[in-house]
Amino acid sequence: MSVWRREPSPVVAVAIGVGASLFFIAIWAWLTRDGGPVSSLLMPSPRAFMDALWRLLRRPYLGNPLYVHILSSLGVVLGGWLLAAIVGLPLGIAMAWWRRLRWIVFPVFQLVRPVPPLAWIPLAIIWLGIGPGARMSVVFVAALVPWVMNSMQAVVSIDPVLVQAARTLGASDRVVLSRVVARTALPTLIAGARIALGNAWTTLIAAELLAASSGLGYVALNASRTLDTDILLVAMAIIGILGALLSFTMQIVARILAPWSRREAA
Amino acid sequence: MAAAQHPRVQIRSANNSALVWGGCSLGALLIVWFIVTSGIGLVAPRLLPSPSVLVERIFVLATTPFGGHDLFGHAVASLERWTFGVLAAIGLGLPLGVLFAWLPPVRAALTPAFELLRYIPPFAWVPIAILWFGASTLTQALVVFVAAFPACVINTQLGVSQVDKVLVQAARTLGAGSWTTLRKVVLPVAAHDAFTGIRIAVSNGWMALVGAELVVGKVGLGFLVSQGQANDSVATVFVGIIAIGLLGVLIDTGVRWLQRAALPWLTADASKA
Repeated sequence: MSVWRREPSPVVAVAIGVGASLFFIAIWAWLTRDGGPVSSLLMPSPRAFMDALWRLLRRPYLGNPLYVHILSSLGVVLGGWLLAAIVGLPLGIAMAWWRRLRWIVFPVFQLVRPVPPLAWIPLAIIWLGIGPGARMSVVFVAALVPWVMNSMQAVVSIDPVLVQAARTLGASDRVVLSRVVARTALPTLIAGARIALGNAWTTLIAAELLAASSGLGYVALNASRTLDTDILLVAMAIIGILGALLSFTMQIVARILAPWSRREAA
Repeated sequence: MAAAQHPRVQIRSANNSALVWGGCSLGALLIVWFIVTSGIGLVAPRLLPSPSVLVERIFVLATTPFGGHDLFGHAVASLERWTFGVLAAIGLGLPLGVLFAWLPPVRAALTPAFELLRYIPPFAWVPIAILWFGASTLTQALVVFVAAFPACVINTQLGVSQVDKVLVQAARTLGAGSWTTLRKVVLPVAAHDAFTGIRIAVSNGWMALVGAELVVGKVGLGFLVSQGQANDSVATVFVGIIAIGLLGVLIDTGVRWLQRAALPWLTADASKA
């Protein structure tokens, strides 16, 4: 086997990764240098990128300091996600528990599901105006489907033998739900929570492009309109980093709450 | 990114009562909709169109231009951009996925950059795409590409890396070169996962396209919806949303059909996914 087909040791892999990344940054710097082939209007140099980050940290942009934009985005995302959990979790569990409810609600879900959540944004604007309400309702829609589907799936996939065993031992409906159902279903539930949060974040950014006066998506779009490419790039980087942080947090929560669940691919 | 990955709940034996209850539910929804709009007028027509207004609007949009094109013109424009972006994502994503799995050093080199970019949602690319390409087709195609690309890479990589090592070694023992092994042994097996990636990519791309069209452009279904909102025509918004949903379902059905037609040796597996 040639060296190309061999799995590098972890240390070597990290070294290769760091080296390649530095190489990419060097290419980026070379392309965007003064008088280089790429205009700073289209792509700022790494230096300009750091300057813009520094500027954003020190001075307010579009009326708000950077942390207010970040908190605005995070607030809407977590609000919509929690609201979706409050509605979706009980609904999904109830749909799995009572067949009739599932038969009633499921077709409505199937009807709404193919529509991308962000297609509701214009409707939300008509109904609620350009405020946090419109954004949060769209985030809610984006997060609701995974919450409901996964909590339903979580309960449906429970081994009936476990439930019957609990029943045989005299457990009531309530005890079966809280002791048997809730515990075996937790990993799927947490996976649903993570997908919901990911969807919520993605959708929020789209919503902020359309209906916002603060938030990171709003910053990005405005920077694009005023040709502040460096600020735009900083906003994109922060959006990406926050998205990654949200995802990692959920993975850690999963490991703490349900350490027995199999590790899944991200 | 994982939008299309909800587990599918299988309702075993979709029996008659399920159909009856489901039908009743949808029927009740229709009746409530009719009553609150046409019947007692509880909801202002500005906020929710009545069923008859909606149906009328569909015919109007299908025959007369709104925002420069009729409904089909907008749909064709959307599909065109979507095709561009998705084809580019598949064309670059599948080879890169194979490369990642087949040549570990390449993966080690590119993973940091790939992961960094993967966490930036496709819509965050809209502003910079506008800056780069203006209101052209390329802007939307780039957003579609960004949404579709990671699913192609990740699933192909998964498919290739899960190929039974014994199969590979057997091929090698029988004298097959690296290229032949890849082409004759690895890729046919990995094709199933790659296709799953394509399916996710295709629907992610469609979703992202709608978002991009809402923000920028002069044609497309997303543009139709945002024009409806700008002109305070909620019926137009609904028609656009319905068209987007329907095309999304059609696209997914089409890809599934393609998967069965293109990979007959994996049909048994494909029906499971």
